[in-house]
Amino acid sequence: MWKFSVRRILIMIPQLFVLSLLIFVLAKMMPGDALSGQIDPNIDPARIEELRIEMGWYDPWHEQYARWVGGVMQGDFGMSFRFKMPVTELIGQRIVNSFWLSVATLILTYLIAIPLGITSGRYNDTFRDQLITGYSYVGFATPLFIFALVMLWVFGFQLQWFPTSGSVEPGMEPGTFDYFMSKFYHLLLPALSMALITTFNTILYLRNEIIDTKQKDFILLARSKGASESRVYNQHIFRNSLLPIAAFFGFEITGLIGGSIFIENIFGYPGMGQLLIESISLRDFSVVTATTLLFGIASILGALISDIILSLVDPRIRIK
Amino acid sequence: MSKSLKWLFALMLAMLLVLAACGNNTAGDDDQKKDDPKTETEDPKDDEKEDEEEPVEDDGLYSIDDFATSKTNEGEAIEGGSLTFGLVSDTVFEGTLNYNFYSGAPDAEVIAWFDESMLYTDGNFTFTNEGPAEFTTEPYETDEYPNGVTFTFKIKDNVNWHDGEPVKAEDWAFSFEVIGHPDYTGVRYGPDFSNIVGMEEYNAGEADTISGIEIVDEKTLKITYKESQPSLLTGGVWSYAMPKHIFKDIPVAEMQESDAVRKNPIGMGPFKVKSITPGESVVYEKFADYWRGEPNLDEVVLKVVSPSTVVQALQTGEVDMVDSFPVDQFVDNADMSNVEWLGITDLAYTYIGFKLGHWDAEAKKVVMDPDKKMADVNLRRAMWYAVDNNAVGEKFYNGLRWQANSLIIPPFKDYHNADVEAPTYNPDEAKKLLDEAGYVDVDGDGIREDKNGEELVINFASMSGGDVAEPLAQYYIQSWAAVGLKVELIDGRLLEFNAFYDRVGQNGEDDPNIDIYQGAWSTGTDVNPYGLYGPDQMFNFPRYESEKSSELLAAGNSPEAFDVAYRQEVYKEWQELMVEDIPVFPTLYRAVLIPVNNRVLNYAIDYGSTMGRHELAVTQEEPFKHE
Repeated sequence: MWKFSVRRILIMIPQLFVLSLLIFVLAKMMPGDALSGQIDPNIDPARIEELRIEMGWYDPWHEQYARWVGGVMQGDFGMSFRFKMPVTELIGQRIVNSFWLSVATLILTYLIAIPLGITSGRYNDTFRDQLITGYSYVGFATPLFIFALVMLWVFGFQLQWFPTSGSVEPGMEPGTFDYFMSKFYHLLLPALSMALITTFNTILYLRNEIIDTKQKDFILLARSKGASESRVYNQHIFRNSLLPIAAFFGFEITGLIGGSIFIENIFGYPGMGQLLIESISLRDFSVVTATTLLFGIASILGALISDIILSLVDPRIRIK
Repeated sequence: MSKSLKWLFALMLAMLLVLAACGNNTAGDDDQKKDDPKTETEDPKDDEKEDEEEPVEDDGLYSIDDFATSKTNEGEAIEGGSLTFGLVSDTVFEGTLNYNFYSGAPDAEVIAWFDESMLYTDGNFTFTNEGPAEFTTEPYETDEYPNGVTFTFKIKDNVNWHDGEPVKAEDWAFSFEVIGHPDYTGVRYGPDFSNIVGMEEYNAGEADTISGIEIVDEKTLKITYKESQPSLLTGGVWSYAMPKHIFKDIPVAEMQESDAVRKNPIGMGPFKVKSITPGESVVYEKFADYWRGEPNLDEVVLKVVSPSTVVQALQTGEVDMVDSFPVDQFVDNADMSNVEWLGITDLAYTYIGFKLGHWDAEAKKVVMDPDKKMADVNLRRAMWYAVDNNAVGEKFYNGLRWQANSLIIPPFKDYHNADVEAPTYNPDEAKKLLDEAGYVDVDGDGIREDKNGEELVINFASMSGGDVAEPLAQYYIQSWAAVGLKVELIDGRLLEFNAFYDRVGQNGEDDPNIDIYQGAWSTGTDVNPYGLYGPDQMFNFPRYESEKSSELLAAGNSPEAFDVAYRQEVYKEWQELMVEDIPVFPTLYRAVLIPVNNRVLNYAIDYGSTMGRHELAVTQEEPFKHE
């Protein structure tokens, strides 16, 4: 077990290296830079040129890369050209929002998925099951960004039950209970929109697992020993079926990252996804590279967590 | 599939999404404001009744003349009240909240509520004595600088910073010391600063002080410029002070990230910053000690509103007014019952440019090339005759953009030459010109060949963004095809903003394959077009120069040009020259529309309006909602 984990973590190092290289080169290959947007007759092009030289944007790419990696190693992602502040501080502001959004989405996803999955697996091929699988197929087929827009329009603008943008009511005192509630209120609709859509695979996994496990010999044994139906489901089937779901927990995180890019942009929710898109379109390189790198690391970590959980659950997966 | 392969695949997918999402991009103010077309959600038009005041015509066309520039005041103002201001942007505001450091337009909107210029301007964008400071000028003549000028500024007595400190001459001088400082990190330093006596030495680190800036007494400041130019009076003097008592201990290189800029900025404006949620919103409270009098409103809340949801935000009263409204959404919302629409001509124009040369990076000037495809002025004139910009304005923009004739835009009332004889749509004239110039169809395929009888394909660069970009580019291509010219989009598609300006030559590395391009300029408040058409200007994208043009541009900003009549004459001649030489031709002027909730009083958007934000008031606690 330990050997496997250590090995798995060692593999991450070259992965991260290639990732950082790819991100950096791709970012630099984009046409334009953070100063392209400053094409304005009131700003002196000579000053812009001077700034470009000062920023080192004309140096060969490998020098820039070495400088950047050197900084990243020490936890310094450089300065955001656009926000004129250190990237670490900027990301610090945003990552909190994204983190809570992800947590809320995950909780909601499992809150929806587990009861539905169990019901649908236990009573498979009944009307209830068909309703639930129907829902999950619809969720599977609906693009997240369309669904989120519809949610925003219906619950945000038509019914006005939820705020339509931002992460907190203007003028709230940070640290107070009201502030916390306002934050929660603002992330509820985006989290719900994402959870309702992304929950389908967990439902279907759970359903299939339960149906599978139901026919296993040890269930037959439990039944023949006279265990009650609820005991069979809650103790024997549920626990066994949940293991693969736990294993996919890591991949869930990867999925959340992709989703958050849409969700945050649609709901005007200032998190990492919105920051990424904005800094790409405005060519704020240091922010682009830092956010993509963090997203990349989160994905790799997600995969790692999944692998480790899987290997705990299923010894066959461990590499000899 | 191995883990890393899977992961790579995921990354590719993510990139794809990202690419798809970058289609809309609002970097830069010279680009037209675009909004996300896919997210437009329309309220069903349940209210068919038309308000008499709404400038609605039967043909669905609007004209800028139908819009008022100031809000009709209806009802009595209540005491105090709170107003919500929407900052329309699909990005957050950066939070560099100081005039000396900001670079994004959203930040400027945030700053404008709590700080202001020391000098106000009038309808011609010229400095007046109405603002926090008054000024006089006297000539400054030495052997080195025979055409110099000294400005003496006197700051009014009751002008105070939000912390109670009076605004002093040293605060204003401090702005110059910071911007000119070798460690300064912002974009503001430029010819307006190096024109100050002693500034270049200071900027190079050779001098500790700027010899041309003198603090006479606590409230009096003298600044001496090497060259006296009319542009000094239209924004050429840096008119923003910064509180020295707060910034003096912060090293210049660290100022823009300091809390004094980002977290608790102060200014001298009618409202002071109460709290900032980074990127999202700002709450202001009134500054009772404001020098023009106590503001009417108790509180102003500014929040970022996405262009795709701004209509709903206005209808529900979530915001009372906005800094700018995506004009292409106006037609569908002209009947919004809870707002009044104000409108004015924007300080911008769209144009078609012809590439006539290249940028010489060594000499830092443009070089014309007589062998360029577009070198024949008759070809360029024919292309101007071939397009119907009136139709473009009506069909694509419902009249909210309209045919342009001159490169000096109408808001420069004194200088815009409305009578300049610019070509208007006349395909027969275009054909005649082309025939005469030798562009004839030799091989009978309906497409004209060049003068040597060889195939002529003109490569056209145009920017993506918004619904209209593609059909508009296609319209121009068809119009030119109708007179026999083969024009193709470069690479067969529209270019994204950054790629467009890279290839048009914002770094001086022009793409030689581009023959013509469609661009837009936001002119700023200085009428002087030198920055865009001067021979040594990087932004002279057509790479055009002529002796006459350079001469006129220089004359237009010479000391003699302080005489308005003389300057008018010079710019009139220059505008005529541009219609003759056609390095570019202007296509459209555009409108700015601002919706204002009916409860808001005392608001005006005309240039040079003396109505201050301290006069803003509301007639009831809650905004009106759309019915």
